[in-house]
Amino acid sequence: MLAVKRTRRLDPDPAFTAAFRELAPRLPGSASEALARIREEGFARFLALGIPTQRDEAWKFTNVARIANRPMRPATATELPLDRVLPYLLGGPRARRLVFVDGRLQPQWSHTGGLPDGVIVESLARAAETRPLALAEALGELDDGRSFTALNTAFADGGAWIELPAGVALEAPLQLLFVTTGGEVPVMSHPRCVLRLGDGASLTLLETHVGLGEGAALTNAVLQLALRPGARLEHDRIQLPAAQSSLLAKIDGSLGAGSRYRQTTVVLGGALVRNEHELRIDGAGVECLLSGVAVPGTGEQSDTLVRIHHRASGSHSDQYFKHVVEDRGHAAFAGKIVVHPGAQKTNAYQKNDNLLLSDDGEVDTKPELQIYADDVKCSHGATCGELDAGVLFYLRSRGIAAEAARAILVHAFAAEVIGRLADPTARALAETRLVARLGGGLDGALVETVLGEAA
Amino acid sequence: MLTIENLQVSVEGKPILKGLSLTVEAGRVHAIMGPNGSGKSTLAHVLAGREGYEVTGGNVRFGDEDLLALEPEERAHAGLFLAMQYPVEIPGVANMYFLRQAINAIRKARGQEEIPAAEFMRKVREQARLLGIGEELLKRDLNAGFSGGEKKRNEILQMALLEPRLCILDETDSGLDIDALRTVADGVNRLRSPERAFLVITHYQRLLDYIVPDVVHIMADGRIQRTGGPELARELEERGYEGLLGTKLAA
Repeated sequence: MLAVKRTRRLDPDPAFTAAFRELAPRLPGSASEALARIREEGFARFLALGIPTQRDEAWKFTNVARIANRPMRPATATELPLDRVLPYLLGGPRARRLVFVDGRLQPQWSHTGGLPDGVIVESLARAAETRPLALAEALGELDDGRSFTALNTAFADGGAWIELPAGVALEAPLQLLFVTTGGEVPVMSHPRCVLRLGDGASLTLLETHVGLGEGAALTNAVLQLALRPGARLEHDRIQLPAAQSSLLAKIDGSLGAGSRYRQTTVVLGGALVRNEHELRIDGAGVECLLSGVAVPGTGEQSDTLVRIHHRASGSHSDQYFKHVVEDRGHAAFAGKIVVHPGAQKTNAYQKNDNLLLSDDGEVDTKPELQIYADDVKCSHGATCGELDAGVLFYLRSRGIAAEAARAILVHAFAAEVIGRLADPTARALAETRLVARLGGGLDGALVETVLGEAA
Repeated sequence: MLTIENLQVSVEGKPILKGLSLTVEAGRVHAIMGPNGSGKSTLAHVLAGREGYEVTGGNVRFGDEDLLALEPEERAHAGLFLAMQYPVEIPGVANMYFLRQAINAIRKARGQEEIPAAEFMRKVREQARLLGIGEELLKRDLNAGFSGGEKKRNEILQMALLEPRLCILDETDSGLDIDALRTVADGVNRLRSPERAFLVITHYQRLLDYIVPDVVHIMADGRIQRTGGPELARELEERGYEGLLGTKLAA
C-alpha cells in the first residue's frame, strides 16, 4: 500500500483496455470516423493520466482507486418494471424526459415530443447519428486533465444533447433520469451530456441519479454547459446511488453575460459521490448560485469540488454547501474562487456548514480564494458543529422523543438547501428520502407541512 | 401532585439546592420567589430533566411516579410543562409543525389517536387569538426572530395546547412590558382548574398582581426559607429580600 501513497497516478486496471477494445465497435457513433478517433484519443489520454491517488491534491481526501480501479463490466440491457422507476419521474405531467437504465435509453418512459421549433432534446446515441461531427467536436473540446473525463469521452454511452435556440423558454421541466441496477461485478456507465442555451433561452433541468438493487455500479458522468448571454438555467440534481455504488460527476460550464445558473444538489447514499464543477464566468451581470446538501453515513463519502473563474467584471457567484455526517460518514468540500485580472466589482461568496453527529465521522473542508483584482467583495467560511443540547432539551421537554428531536433538527439543517430546489416534485422526492433516512419516527407529516407551506 | 423531599443538586460540583422540600397540590398556584442565585431556575430545570445537574440527594414524586427517573419527554407525557425563561430559537422548524408534533407525541404516549388536522388548526387559532399571536407568527420558524414578548406568549400557547397537569413558569415575566405581562397572565389564569397546579417562579412581585397565588414560598440559599399566603409577597415587596431574610441569605 505504501507504493500507492507515494505516487500521484496509478496505472488503470488492464480490464479497462480489454473493455474498450471489446466495446469500441459498438459504442454510439462508432460508424463515424471522427467520433471513433475522439474516443481512441480519450482512451489514450485516460491511460496516460492514470487513476489519481491521494497524493494528487484534488484527491487528497478521497481514495478513488479503491472504487474505480478494478474490473468492471459495461452494462447489458436491463428490464425494469415501471413501478420501480415511477417514484423518480419528476417534473409533473407536462415534463419532457429522457430515462436511461444502466446507460441505455428507455424510449418507453422517455418523452420529448411537442417542443418548440429549433429545440433539440435527444439521447447521446441519437446525436451520434444525427450530428456526429458536432458531437465529436464537443467531446474533443473538453480536456480538463482529469482522467475520468477522458474515460467518459472514450466510453460515453448514455447522456443527451440538449439545445435551446435564442429566446426560447421551456416552461415544463426537462428531466434526465439515470438509473443503475448494478451487479456483483460493478457495472459502469458513462453518461455525457451537452447542454447549450441560446441568448435569453431558459430551462429547468432535473437531473436525477438513482441506484436500484443491491449490486455495485459506477456512474461516471460529464456535463458540458454553455449559457449564452441572458440565458437562464435552473438545475436541480438529486443523487440517490445504492449503497455499493458510486457516482463521479463533472460539470464544465461557461456562463455568458447576464446569464443565471442556479444549481441545487441533494446527495443521499452512495459509497462515493463526487461532484466536481469548473465554471467560467465570461461576462458581466452573471449570477451563479450553487447549493448542496449531503448526508453521508457509514461507508459513504460525499465530495464537492467547485472552481469558479470570474473572468469578467461585475458578476456574482455564491456557493452554499452543507453536510450532515452520521456514524462513520465522510464529507469533503474544496471550493475555489479565482478572480482573474480585470474582473473588478466581483461579488463571490462561499460557505460550507457541517453538522457532525458522531465522533467517528470525518469532515474535510478547504476553501480557497485567488484574487487578482483589487475592487472585489469575496468571502468564505466554514463551520463544523454538533446538535445544540439546549435545543434538543427544548424539543424533548415538549414531549418529543430524543430520536425524533434529533431527526427534526437534522432535517431543519438540511431542509434549507432542499427548499432551494426549483421544482416542487424534486423537493418532494428529496424531502421524502431525507425523512426516511433520518428515522426517529418522523412521518409524512413533516413532508406535508414543509411542502404544504411551500405551495 | 408534586412532592419534593430534601432535594440536593450540584452543578459542576457546586451545591445549588441544599435540601429543598415542597409540596404542590392540584388546583393550587404556588409562587416561588427568591433573589438571584437562590436556585430558582435550577429547581425548574431539574424538575424538567435538563442535563448538567447532578442530583446528590432527596427525591421528587410526581403523582405516582419517581420524577427524577424519567426522561424529559416522559415528564412531558406525564403532564409536566416548563415555560422557559429563555425559549430557544429553532430555525428550520416551523412553529405549526412543531406544535402538531408535540401534541401528537403526548397524545401517542397517552394512548390517544393523533389530533385531526382540522381540530388542530381550530385549537391553535383559538388559543393564538386569545394570546394575541398573529397568524404570521404561527407560520414562522419556532421562536426565530421572535421578540422577547412573542417568545413568552408562544410558551403559554404551547402550555395551553399541551394541557399539562403541572405548569412551571420560570421567570415568565422577565423582559415583558406591562401589556404583554397582562396577556401572558390572562393566558395562565384561563388555564387554572381544579386538576391543574402551577409553580410560578419569579424574582419580582409584579407578576403576582396578575397571577394571584394561593401559596408563596421564599427561596434562598438552595432552600425554601419561608412559606405563606399572598400577603407574604406583599411583605417582600415592602421590606425586600434583605429585610425579610437578613443580609446573609439575601446576598
